[in-house]
Amino acid sequence: MKARTLVADDASFMREMIKEIVEPEGFEVIAEAGDGQDAVEMFKEHSPDIVTMDIVMPKKSGIEAVKNIIALDPGAKIVMCSALGQEALVMEALKAGAKDFIVKPFKPDAVVTTLRKALDKQD
Amino acid sequence: MDLTKYRALFLEEATEHLAEMSHSLLVLEKDPEAGEAIETLFRMAHSIKSMAASLDYTSITELSHRLEDRMEGVRSAGRVDGSEDLPLLFRGLETLERMVAGVRDNGEPPPGDAELLAALEGADGGAPKKVHP
Repeated sequence: MKARTLVADDASFMREMIKEIVEPEGFEVIAEAGDGQDAVEMFKEHSPDIVTMDIVMPKKSGIEAVKNIIALDPGAKIVMCSALGQEALVMEALKAGAKDFIVKPFKPDAVVTTLRKALDKQD
Repeated sequence: MDLTKYRALFLEEATEHLAEMSHSLLVLEKDPEAGEAIETLFRMAHSIKSMAASLDYTSITELSHRLEDRMEGVRSAGRVDGSEDLPLLFRGLETLERMVAGVRDNGEPPPGDAELLAALEGADGGAPKKVHP
């Protein structure tokens, strides 16, 4: 069965790229969010198996969205999408409950491996 | 990866982001402490950087990265410096616009401007500035 995936990123460019990387590899993108607030709402609505979460987003940052989602579901599987130079923010997201992170520009193999590992991680 | 598709997406989103950056700079010219404009400039530079890096547009990646770092300093200070930051940010924006136009017209951006990159980095290496009293 495919892993139902929520992709949160304010750039449709990045959402499209993640979709193209993961969909042939056993993931189905069931919802997309363009900001952190929308990501939390989409999570409530769809209860996805896994979430990819950008850090820098309007309305609510990816880190705030992680905190909100973990408060709703402590077992949520969230992988942060970061860029070079965001190490401190990634650490904050991991402390808030994110399972792992991937770095832009994306390396397709690393994205798929990280998402699969996050899905397998126990709470 | 279908580069044509991603180049089209890049051009569409980058053009929108540049317009937002331009608007934000005009806001900051009138109100150096306009928080939303500071935040928008930071976010737009960050977004352009990520897209450009994915397409190997090195000159755009480097310039947007420096603009993002500069805005990080502005965020920490809570205000833009009208005599130091603004002229550089306007210059950075104009250069980014030319680079994106280069992608549209020639399929790739022109080379970077080392002097502008150094100026944006500043003597402190781009570290966040102290909050002005």
